[in-house]
Amino acid sequence: MVIRKLNRGLPIIRILIAALLLIICIYPVFYVFMSSVKTTEDFQQQKPYELPSEITFANYQKIIEQGRILTYFKNSIIITLFTVLFILILASMAGFGLSKFSFRGNKTLRNYFNLGLMLPIQVSLIPLFYIFSRIDILDTYPAVIIPQVAFGLAFSIQLFYSFYKFLPNDVIESGIIDGCTPMQVFIKIVTPMAQNTYLTVATMQGVFCWNEFITTYTMTKSVGMKTVTLGLNDFVGTMGLTDWGATFAMIILTILPTLILYFFTNKHMVSGIAAGSVKG
Amino acid sequence: MTKTLNKPSDILTFILPAFIVFTLIVIVSIAWVFGVSFLDWNGMTGGKFVGFNNYRQLFFEDSSYWEIVGNTFLYTIYELLWQVLGGLLVAIFLTRLRHFRSILQTLYYIPVVISTVAICQIFTKFFSVVPSGVINSVLSLFNEEWAYLEWLSNPNLSLEVAAFAEGYKYFGLYMVIFYAALISVPQELEEAARIDGAGMLTQIMKIKLPYIKPVIISNLIIVLNGSMRSFDVSYLLTKGGPANTSQLLTPYMYKQAFNSLKYGYGSAVAITIVILCILLGVVLQKLIIKDDKEE
Repeated sequence: MVIRKLNRGLPIIRILIAALLLIICIYPVFYVFMSSVKTTEDFQQQKPYELPSEITFANYQKIIEQGRILTYFKNSIIITLFTVLFILILASMAGFGLSKFSFRGNKTLRNYFNLGLMLPIQVSLIPLFYIFSRIDILDTYPAVIIPQVAFGLAFSIQLFYSFYKFLPNDVIESGIIDGCTPMQVFIKIVTPMAQNTYLTVATMQGVFCWNEFITTYTMTKSVGMKTVTLGLNDFVGTMGLTDWGATFAMIILTILPTLILYFFTNKHMVSGIAAGSVKG
Repeated sequence: MTKTLNKPSDILTFILPAFIVFTLIVIVSIAWVFGVSFLDWNGMTGGKFVGFNNYRQLFFEDSSYWEIVGNTFLYTIYELLWQVLGGLLVAIFLTRLRHFRSILQTLYYIPVVISTVAICQIFTKFFSVVPSGVINSVLSLFNEEWAYLEWLSNPNLSLEVAAFAEGYKYFGLYMVIFYAALISVPQELEEAARIDGAGMLTQIMKIKLPYIKPVIISNLIIVLNGSMRSFDVSYLLTKGGPANTSQLLTPYMYKQAFNSLKYGYGSAVAITIVILCILLGVVLQKLIIKDDKEE
């Protein structure tokens, strides 16, 4: 007991470190929220770290009345949903194929997909921009979705692969003996067992896609195609210097969906990342 | 792998869709970039074959290129410190706690889920000089003159601030991975060391870190690779400036291609990035596999 106590160090220091880290991680969000409900007078007269003297939602009202935020949300939701959907379908099938099918070149193929982990998406944007403009799909949803799906595959295939690898072969073999085709086994037996992996990949890629900047920035032109992230960036460009209150309100509105999603699914997100990487 | 599943048609059904999408978008486009890197091309019309001219210009005439390569390496070192070392230290710290581990881990992870655009905007406001942002306002409580300290516009600090912003956003990711690895270290090992009289530090250095070595190495590779091609923070927070002091390779490539419309030149920069990334990835992996075999 005594040794254990000594080993654990002084509690007060541990509390201080924990609190300090907490402040560093939470304070920016708190600061943005606090500033988003400040009045213009408060911005002019107060120090930036001071709490608002009165709370106002005028900044939020301003953004909602401007109306574009709804378009941004619509676009972000459509793009995120389709990107995640395609990644889930393609990556789960490929992950299953690579982990359960025995054929020559399996390992080479895995390494081939792993190249995707090392290559920067920005490099591909140069030719993709040209090709997409030639086939006239710039400024459409596919132009934004296709590159993100392709570059999301490597990581997602790896996560599915490491899950299926630990799935007992008997499960599949007994399904085959019962007369199922491999596809039926995959859909009816394997997929329900992989629910958690699907959820992990979906939440992670969902957050990546919601926060994505450069692909959407390159491939879209019209205001009607902009996502939440781009909307925030544009907003900062036009209003950032003059209207801090509205800028902060805009930041809150754009990060709220990911924060809410994170708080509901953080077990899956966090455990998935850890499991995927540790098992490797 | 199972022996029942080996029909070529089934293999194709499962793997081909992902293979086609991945090959067409990722691999073919990189090959295309390689081809374009030998052209003088504005991205729209014509395109003239100029051989290695772009590369020659890049390596021998473009003085900003080598400055940017230097910046990128320095940036990568900062990221290794913030993300790998920082993540590891926080993870070790979490394992020393008796209560609230899981809730603290959840909260420490928050910066990871916030978009880089938002993070950069928050940092811009934090480090603002006129009007004083949070940092300078707090500093001015200690010394009036510190209200006018420059951060993002300071050529000696902009790279460091950008590196900090990126480290701040991502350290939680590696903390989570390290934490999971650390709590998987068998209790008996720790117990035995403790009975032998090993202190806390010895336990960590001699038992825990060697046990999770593979995880440390894989995180090192991921961060190394990710930082070599880092884009968003430099592009959005400091815009590479002032001058080129916080410019990195990938945003430089992007600006050459899309802003200066030098697609051939931008592609040459792109190819040097791809080679660096693959070289680092493959060489490190080879070294580690060799290392593992020796053990």
